[in-house]
Amino acid sequence: MALRIGGASKSFSDHKVLDAVDFDLAAGEVHALLGENGAGKSTLMNILSGIYTADAGRIEIDGAPVSVSGPAAAVALGIGMVHQHFKLVQPFTGRENLHLAASGLPVVPPRATVDAQISELVIRSGLDVALDVPVARLSVAEQQRIEILKTLLLGARILVLDEPTAVLTDAEADGLLSLVRDLAAQGHAIIFITHKLREVISAGDRVSVLRRGRMVLANRAVEDVTRDDLSSAMIGGQDVAVTKRAGARSGADLLSVSGATVMDGGATFVSGANLTVRAGEIHGLAGVGGNGQRELAEAVLGMRPLADGRVVLEGHDLKAASVAARRGVGMRYIPADRSADALASNVTLADNLAATAVRTGALGRGLVWPGRIRAHAGSLIEAFGIAGASGGARRPVRLLSGGNAQKVILAREIDGDARLIIAHSPTRGLDVAACAYVHDRLIEAASRGAGVLLISEDLEEILALSDRISVISRGRIASTADGRPDRAQIGDLMLGHA
Amino acid sequence: MLESVTLERRSGAGPVLNAASFVGALALGVALSLAVLVAAGVPTKALFEELVVQVFLSPAGLARTVTMATPMMFGALAAALCLRLKFWNIGIEGQLWLGAICATAVALYDIGGPLRLPLMMVAAMVGGALWILPSVLLKTWLGVSEVIVTLLMSNIAYLLLQHLLFGAFGDPTFNFPTSPVFDDAERLARFGWGDVNAGVALALVAVAVAALTLGATRFGFAARFVGDNPRAALALGFPALRVLLVSVLAGGAMAGLAGGVIVAGTEFRLTQAVGLNMTFNGIVIAALARNTPAWIPVWAVFIAGLNVAGASLKVFYGVSEGIVLVAQGVILLALVTGTFVTTYRVRFARRGLA
Amino acid sequence: MTIAVTAWLGAMPGFMAPLLLAALGLLLCERAGVLNLGVEGVMALGAMVGAAMSLAGWSPWAAMGAGALGGLAVSLPFMVAVIVFRAPQISAGLALAAIALGASAALGRGASHKPFPGLENMTWGGDWAALPVVGRMLFQQDAVVYLTLILAGLMALWLMRTRAGLRLRAVGEDPATADASGVDVQLYQFGAVAVGSLLIGLAGAYLSVGGSNIWTEGMVAGRGWIALALVVFAQWSPIRAIGGAVLFGGAEALIPRLQAMGVEVPVYLLSMLPYALTIGVLVLMALSKRARQAEPGFLGRAYIRQDR
Ligand SMILES: Nc1ncnc2c1ncn2[C@@H]1O[C@H](COP(=O)(O)OP(=O)(O)OP(=O)(O)O)[C@@H](O)[C@H]1O
Ligand SMILES: [Mg+2]
Repeated sequence: MALRIGGASKSFSDHKVLDAVDFDLAAGEVHALLGENGAGKSTLMNILSGIYTADAGRIEIDGAPVSVSGPAAAVALGIGMVHQHFKLVQPFTGRENLHLAASGLPVVPPRATVDAQISELVIRSGLDVALDVPVARLSVAEQQRIEILKTLLLGARILVLDEPTAVLTDAEADGLLSLVRDLAAQGHAIIFITHKLREVISAGDRVSVLRRGRMVLANRAVEDVTRDDLSSAMIGGQDVAVTKRAGARSGADLLSVSGATVMDGGATFVSGANLTVRAGEIHGLAGVGGNGQRELAEAVLGMRPLADGRVVLEGHDLKAASVAARRGVGMRYIPADRSADALASNVTLADNLAATAVRTGALGRGLVWPGRIRAHAGSLIEAFGIAGASGGARRPVRLLSGGNAQKVILAREIDGDARLIIAHSPTRGLDVAACAYVHDRLIEAASRGAGVLLISEDLEEILALSDRISVISRGRIASTADGRPDRAQIGDLMLGHA
Repeated sequence: MLESVTLERRSGAGPVLNAASFVGALALGVALSLAVLVAAGVPTKALFEELVVQVFLSPAGLARTVTMATPMMFGALAAALCLRLKFWNIGIEGQLWLGAICATAVALYDIGGPLRLPLMMVAAMVGGALWILPSVLLKTWLGVSEVIVTLLMSNIAYLLLQHLLFGAFGDPTFNFPTSPVFDDAERLARFGWGDVNAGVALALVAVAVAALTLGATRFGFAARFVGDNPRAALALGFPALRVLLVSVLAGGAMAGLAGGVIVAGTEFRLTQAVGLNMTFNGIVIAALARNTPAWIPVWAVFIAGLNVAGASLKVFYGVSEGIVLVAQGVILLALVTGTFVTTYRVRFARRGLA
Repeated sequence: MTIAVTAWLGAMPGFMAPLLLAALGLLLCERAGVLNLGVEGVMALGAMVGAAMSLAGWSPWAAMGAGALGGLAVSLPFMVAVIVFRAPQISAGLALAAIALGASAALGRGASHKPFPGLENMTWGGDWAALPVVGRMLFQQDAVVYLTLILAGLMALWLMRTRAGLRLRAVGEDPATADASGVDVQLYQFGAVAVGSLLIGLAGAYLSVGGSNIWTEGMVAGRGWIALALVVFAQWSPIRAIGGAVLFGGAEALIPRLQAMGVEVPVYLLSMLPYALTIGVLVLMALSKRARQAEPGFLGRAYIRQDR
């Protein structure tokens, strides 16, 4: 047995992220680690590579207990990790990054030796990549190759790949999977984290599943488990199905975006996008993250300028309108990144809930007394069942859990005057109950006659909720003639061939 | 098995810990400052007399302290109003000098007839606001660091002050670089209590207006969002840029007014020494008040007391006034270091798993 | 005219050297991610210590060494605050500036306004020093000027060509990655700020020992702040810092020259030149995308390993 982790526990400020987790790994195997967002996969691996300090537990390598006292110790023990968010110094070249990594070896080889090793490694592994340009100019796939080279250069025997395929195209992912198999064949022990069952089945030897910090399915041979076993382990046997929408009636066009082009710093994020959302409709916009979703949403809301095109909401031409004016005609926004784009984390829960009401003057035009703000917030806290605001509405909103933080945003955004709700990945990182809650609210808003533009990477969510579906790929929006593409058609559209 | 220290960011500190860390850091800072004073030659026995009785408990001493606290309240507002928007105003002195210059110009050129004095105060505010304007514009348009620009603008303002004192504003009957003395109509009223003057009323009004605006208006509400998360503020439809501009300009205006009340309230003329060290005083007071206007008067009096005491220590014990600056520096360093306790949790954990 | 230009250029290196030394010191701190707003005060302390030691009969070199050490000593609390306790760097830096300025005023009272023998110019290159225009500038300066230029070159080499330099840059750019590569982030920051403070202290000491040969309170007169801007201008490169220091030193050297030539200039307005120039240069830098990218990515922030 190459590696055994026993009883690993970890909490972040009283939030238990790992609860007595056991895990083991053999030389020459690819061990797939599955789990939903926030299950604790990265945390476990960060403990293994010395970045996080566990609260309890032990690690054995080749049967002997070891202490991973820090990243350097992990390197010395032959543990290498390709992090979910690459650990590369962006302005440095690939070679500089490799030298930096090599300087952490217990015995630092001379620079010429490192250069020779790099050349040799590139040839041996076939990981061909430009090493003398700043990493920032490389594609993610290329950056990933440098990360893998890094672990190999450091002589890692235990290799952790944290969601390596999430950022890759299918072809790139296939290449990576075969590299992983090769490395395993050479005797490396590999932990492969992924969300994709297909990859588990095609590349994994054994599989484990983490759910909310517990190992719910441990060290099973891939042949012995079914897809259903895995998916029910991941989400905990609860009903997978998202609330289905029963045939909604949709009315006239509410929002129409035509020829929208969004540019920033010379790059084009959205080009010539056309899209309509009807009253009472949920329009799903599917697509892999980073294809212009955020920029499109922000341009519709007026946070960034449109280089070209029009945005019309119920007859109001909004091309030059401010965010406040757009909100004034009923536009609402639930951004993907709650803490970065929606909440002021250090401001109180009450203020965050009351933000819109205060801005529009609903709580007073001249003086706005804190008491009125708290009363307003109090009614929303009750109506939306926002829990866990320990200490009440006067505590900073950052103390809320993800699900409750999202409820704060819903409570603020989905009011009676909402006409168009742009919801971007509204269930990201939420547990099943919170997801259902968010979906119900969106459906409710639509059935009141509002339009919902649901932007999501989660295809299940899109398919379950949407009346019509479009796909965004490299800043272009496409759909089928009837606006109801099926799964296969969506896949095609995502690849950019319609 | 290695016992070692790891840091973890706290999601939030409770009110008790907050208060304890503040009081603890302040106590540490004050204790170290006292040690510095003693090392500089102040007898231990004299400390209480000089630092408490003479500056806070004797009527004359308290008058000196309140007089000195008056411009400091404006200086602290200048720091706090900007800092609430995460804008570092490190050029308070420059804005103060411009305020003093503008007020002096109104006085020397006899502008405004019966409204001279109010006009001087308005001119001081305008001068201060104009002097901070380039830094906020450069920051919002081009992302130039306001830290450096406000600092440099201060140096330029000082040279401008000297240029005027050795030239257009100079008093020809005098060898020192000072302006002629102001007329009675150009002086803020005194209350017959030392040099305490109407400036203190102005300062308290400014503090009250700031507190009310920040605490109970839509503008103050917006400022909280813009200061904490400008992107979220933008998405919510708050006019983020305008809020920043208005707050920072108001900060500059307060600094200018500090200059105005010094020349019209205590000095009655413009000199080279007007408002020296106000940048630092303002930032220390704002840090002590945690950028909350309502606390500013209290801490302004505290820091003013320290400075008044410093002046008398200089006379009686030959202690340099530099020591007061050291003491303030030590207090500020202790305060900001104290935020460690509320921001991070220290864990003595077994590293890795072993 | 030639004589005036020769004299101006001859005086320039003496103004350049302290700016460059301070900028190099700051550059090291910032490359490690630490913004050091204490610079003005630390220079003041270095100047005072250098003067006091000179008056005590120390040789100029020993006195400057003492000034450098004084700079280091006064910076220690700041280093502990920002590196160990992760105190906000701007406030902590201002506190350091106040402590050092106050200390230099308090400790230096006995040394004020007393002239002392300072550093001698080197005369080398024989007759070349008599060359018109560039003769004095190139061949008749004190050793510190030459050593500072060499130091800039060495620092550039060290940063860009050695493994330790690579690690230091990584610490300021992306401490999480440096940490994951086994670099002791705090240790590098300590080292960088310590050496940086020595250089900044030395820059101050040179002002009194190498330049004016007398110490007065406030003699640093904003040069620390200019050095801070100089680092931005130099895009964090020691070699470019030379160019910037020459520019700012030249502007500073111009003022006494013009006065000496009897040109009727509003001297205080003219003295604004270096500051105005600095702001102008910052604007130009901000307009250039490349310059903006040169800033160390983690400058001014606190690194905690367990942060995401
Ligand atoms: N450094 C940290 N500080 C505070 N909380 C953290 C930290 N790292 C992770 N968490 C929390 O721990 C939980 C588990 O996070 P982790 O990143 O391990 O999940 P994951 O399984 O890797 O999810 P994903 O698929 O999204 O990568 C989450 O709730 C997350 O918010
Ligand atoms: Mg993860």
